[in-house]
Amino acid sequence: MRNESFSHWRSGIGRVGIATTAVVLFFGLSACQAAQPSSTTKGPISVGSIDDVSGGLSSIGQPKADAAKLAIKDINSNGGVLGRQLKLVAYDAQSDNTKYIQYANQLAQQDHVAVVEAGITSAAREAIRPILDSAQIPYFYSQLYEGGVCDANVFATGMVPSQQLAPMIPYATKHYGKTFTILAADYNFGHSEAVWAAKYIKQNGGTVVKTEFLSLDQTDFGSSINNLQRDKPSVVVSLLVGGNQMSFYKQFAAAGLSGTSHIISPTFGDGQEQLAIGAKATEGIVVANLYLQERTAAANSAFLKQWYAAYGKSYPYVTPSAVAVWNSWHLWAAGVNKAGSLDRAKVLAALQSGISYDGPGGKVTINGASHHVVQNVVVAEGTAEGNFRVLEVDNQVAPAFEESKCNLIKSPTTNTQYIPSN
Amino acid sequence: MKVDQFIVIMVSLLSSVSLLVIVSLGLALAFGMMGVINMAHGEFLMLGAYFTITAVNAGIVLPVAILISAIAMGGLGMVIERIVLRQLYGRIWATMLATWGLSLLIVGVVQLVFGTSSNGIPTPLSTIHLGGYMLSQYSLVLIALAGVLIATTYLVFARTPYGTMARAAASLPEMAAAVGINVSRVNMITFGIASALAGLGGGLLAPLSGVSPTFGQGYIGDAFMTVVVGGASPLLGASTASLLLGGIYAGVSNIVSPVAGTLALLLVSMLVLRFLPTGLTGLWRKARQ
Amino acid sequence: MKISNLRTRPSQTRALGATATIVVGVGLSFIIPAFTAHTVSLWVIYGLLALSFTFVWGHGGIFSLGQAAFFGLGGYAYGVAGIDLAPTTHETMSALLVAAVVGAGAAALLGYFVIYGGIRGVFVAVITIAATLALLTFFTSTGDPAYHIGAAMLGGDNGMVGVPSLTIPGLLSTSNGTLATVVVVAVIVWFAIAELLHRPFGRILAGTRENEFRTQLLGYDVRGRTLAAFVVGGLIAGLAGGLYAGWGNFISPQVFSLQQASLVAIWALVGGRRSLIGAFIGAFAVQGLSELLGQLTSGAVIPLVLGVILLLLVLFLPNGVLPTIVASVLGLVRQKGTAQPSVQNYVEPDPDAAFGRAPSRGLKVTAKAVSMRFGGLSVLRGIDLEVPANAVRTLIGPNGAGKSTFFNLMIGRYRPTAGEIYLGDVRVTRLRPEKRARLGLGIKTQVPSIYSELTVAENVWIAAWAVSRRTQEASRMSAHVLAGLGLTHRAAELAGALSHGELQWLEIGMVIAREPRVVLLDEPTAGMTRAETRRYVDLVAVLARSATVIVVEHDMEFVRELEAQVTMFHDGTVFAEGLMDDLRHDDRILDVYLGRADSA
Repeated sequence: MRNESFSHWRSGIGRVGIATTAVVLFFGLSACQAAQPSSTTKGPISVGSIDDVSGGLSSIGQPKADAAKLAIKDINSNGGVLGRQLKLVAYDAQSDNTKYIQYANQLAQQDHVAVVEAGITSAAREAIRPILDSAQIPYFYSQLYEGGVCDANVFATGMVPSQQLAPMIPYATKHYGKTFTILAADYNFGHSEAVWAAKYIKQNGGTVVKTEFLSLDQTDFGSSINNLQRDKPSVVVSLLVGGNQMSFYKQFAAAGLSGTSHIISPTFGDGQEQLAIGAKATEGIVVANLYLQERTAAANSAFLKQWYAAYGKSYPYVTPSAVAVWNSWHLWAAGVNKAGSLDRAKVLAALQSGISYDGPGGKVTINGASHHVVQNVVVAEGTAEGNFRVLEVDNQVAPAFEESKCNLIKSPTTNTQYIPSN
Repeated sequence: MKVDQFIVIMVSLLSSVSLLVIVSLGLALAFGMMGVINMAHGEFLMLGAYFTITAVNAGIVLPVAILISAIAMGGLGMVIERIVLRQLYGRIWATMLATWGLSLLIVGVVQLVFGTSSNGIPTPLSTIHLGGYMLSQYSLVLIALAGVLIATTYLVFARTPYGTMARAAASLPEMAAAVGINVSRVNMITFGIASALAGLGGGLLAPLSGVSPTFGQGYIGDAFMTVVVGGASPLLGASTASLLLGGIYAGVSNIVSPVAGTLALLLVSMLVLRFLPTGLTGLWRKARQ
Repeated sequence: MKISNLRTRPSQTRALGATATIVVGVGLSFIIPAFTAHTVSLWVIYGLLALSFTFVWGHGGIFSLGQAAFFGLGGYAYGVAGIDLAPTTHETMSALLVAAVVGAGAAALLGYFVIYGGIRGVFVAVITIAATLALLTFFTSTGDPAYHIGAAMLGGDNGMVGVPSLTIPGLLSTSNGTLATVVVVAVIVWFAIAELLHRPFGRILAGTRENEFRTQLLGYDVRGRTLAAFVVGGLIAGLAGGLYAGWGNFISPQVFSLQQASLVAIWALVGGRRSLIGAFIGAFAVQGLSELLGQLTSGAVIPLVLGVILLLLVLFLPNGVLPTIVASVLGLVRQKGTAQPSVQNYVEPDPDAAFGRAPSRGLKVTAKAVSMRFGGLSVLRGIDLEVPANAVRTLIGPNGAGKSTFFNLMIGRYRPTAGEIYLGDVRVTRLRPEKRARLGLGIKTQVPSIYSELTVAENVWIAAWAVSRRTQEASRMSAHVLAGLGLTHRAAELAGALSHGELQWLEIGMVIAREPRVVLLDEPTAGMTRAETRRYVDLVAVLARSATVIVVEHDMEFVRELEAQVTMFHDGTVFAEGLMDDLRHDDRILDVYLGRADSA
């Protein structure tokens, strides 16, 4: 039967009927869904996490989601928090910012969680930050990012430029040479990081030959490769992000550039790039991050043992940001235990007091004023086998820029993101 | 500009053109011959890439692995034509939406099967030196292959009995059926060839990029622009559009910046469509008159 | 004839429905938990976006995948206006207005480009996707603080933050308040669109969708109307985008992604291509389902399930889930009730009654040295033809003589390569088809060109309204014409259900209802019985009382019975002219028809 004739019937009362029924039905159904607020004094404590386990960011998000589950299990098996078990409410935002908004609201208004750990892109972070601010739920962001967020409700446990680029660039000028080309993803993160890179290059006596911004959906890097061949910089700072831009490393290697220029990249490895592009293209790329699966320290061995027990020995790769997630949960747990209460003001005060945790990558300490983390930085190099070799470990590197700009102890109402000036 | 630099830029230009040919030929064929806009074309490329890396990781040499993925995708394409497309001919929106559904479905399945990351394969062959520059032999191979692909497709469709039937089935299906051509089988084969070309394209790209479930999305935009700008004639349109767009993209990228290249590509496409609503094919038709 | 055949519904009923929905919706908005209100708001906003697609595609016939682009632009516009204006005005309804205007403006721009650029069919879909992706690229690269409008930073990929919530002065801007606002806006839009579709604009839009060329031949400016529909679609999408930005306090370039665009199509398909309420139900059902799946399983399953749903819908329920369910329920009800049209109602056509009243106002038709080339092929070579006002002229000639091309030049489908055409004293050589129709030119094409998805009454009504532009007058006129053609008993049926002979009568009815001054009939008796052909001779005589008639015909018996002056085309030239009885004895003509002589 045709649609057209359907409208014959859908007259008068029919229309009103359909509309009203639909409204009542759906409001009714969705009202039923709403859960009871969880008790705040006894029983398990609900905690929330949102990660991108599917969609374009899943290669970053999957290990993070796995880390969250494992961290909660670890905390619970060690007695939980305030003597209570934690109950993780985890959502998959499917690489969709709208889903982040929805799930953040759900965590705040329906699941009544005590804390949220979430987000990969800055866009996702900025989408949910105001929601959690106004719901007064502390928010842990465990991802390397462009730095500068200053918000009393937010703790950032990932790397910031002053931690990654600060050790990497001197390493490059010392070992490779003083001419640099910067290739950055053409969005906020890339632009911000490029400014930082240029600053550190200048500080270390290097020169920037060329800075190029590349679209996130670019797959053909021919012109950049040509420019590199022409300029022959000793170092290429790659601030590229995401699946499409992975192709750059392969095209770089295919053009035989690995012999003339060295790639250093703060982003490489966090999305398991070394697996996707293969050993040949990974060899020689220098990275710096808060954690490296290949490290042999005892803390890491114990951590990996736990990880493999949970997810199998063939787990692709435990990424640095997965460990940032792990650290976030343990730092928060330590903070609550120190506060002796879930009261937000008390928890924030405890976290600001300089809480530390000995993580798989070494000791991590919250810098109270900036809500960022002082931690170890591993500088490593891609090997012919497609994994990483540790070059140096810088102990207890401070988030220098955030420390210098942001003081939430003195002015707790600050709510902004500082960006570097040229 | 020095000679070596000039040659290298020309090669990079040709390389951009050949990449466009490789990613768009299957799409152009399905559109031109059958009026099917295959929204799942990007996912076909992605599947081709996955088949190739799986085969290589299983120890098969790359050229054979690429051929296997082309054949596998051709078979899959024929199955899809049988089950889905043949019900929908003549309703472009329906084929678009159905293949769109297919693309979502394939992404979901691939993520469930292969997970979020897969082991990549290295770019084969080495480099040749040219003055102060080095050229990847693999991109030279791709340039040659793009030419071979176009020539072969041309020969298949212009010189073989099947080609004649396919063109007849495409332009006048009722008449073709009346003279005894099995239109539905011809369409199945044509879509199979288009899918095989996508599989081949994905296989050829696999050594050049990281492969993930969203691999196809990186190429689909360019492929669409090429086909739209090219218009209905699958070979003439796709090859001239690849030349125009690839040339403009690579030219502007080399001279200004890659972002400017992307914008120039979009701008030129818009202008072409404003003045030649049926794409470059229309220009060829006009020129002939 | 009853008005109900034209599916006019009293707007009061609809207004009542809208009011009831608003009252219930707003009431519920404040009862349900804040979180539920937050989620439901998004679904309603998505429903509104789906509605814009349903309207543009299902009703306007434009397969635009750019609704997500207008949605996104609306969102950004709301963000900019909200951030810059709300601190002073303490409300964001003005920002919502800006969002709607920006959506409409962008649609006007893109629509002009597409519709007036002659881009059709699948290219519309692809170019609207391309425009969406271009916006994605643009907004992603606006990360530099230099990209700001007032205090509002576009923010690149990070998106625009700090977008104010939907705020009406005096009302709280809570989640529940947002839902109430969203519901009110959605219902108002639904009401306005439903009204619009039941006005002449909606009917002519339906006509344009079904048969663009016929609508043009009736004298309507189809491009202008299609553009108007596209702009309305952009306005709704922009409005939805504004609501979205206010809902999430955030907007990022992701709204321009292919995923977003595909969701719009899925919602609309689930709800039904043409159903306005279905758009909301589709959005609710799909979002509800993916919400449920998101709670139960991994997110990777969601695209998989949505993909399967989309495939199954296209394959098995192309009309949408809701309309199919309703239609099958309806089918059961129908079988019991309504009387089928019966043969007893059949009335013999009476052309005299249908057309007898029009005054004599035929126009002289003149073609001067008209030539037409297609590429290297010369189809017409210097045709000179003059048909006096109110005369009947028959064009004959073998296939390929150029008769059809000549008609196509007359109606304006092509422009001649040389020569001029006049209707009366007006030179029409370069006029668009609708302008010629307004001068009084009507054509009955060889294959009946009608609106097969509209009712018989609507077909004629659209033709009649083109003249009077008054609803009542057009209804009266079409009833009159249908009665005269003996089609009254089938008025409420879809024209596609008519027999071949009836279609011929329907199409001539549309020509008559347009009150033409020149009528072109292209092989009008093809497929007719002898008796029908004889009736047609009478019809032509009646037509000729008030209009000039030119007939292309192969049926020599019919030509003879017309007893009119005959012009014979051969090989693109006028070969002979005279009365049929004279031409019959011309050996040259027999030679041409029998292929006995060289045409030169």
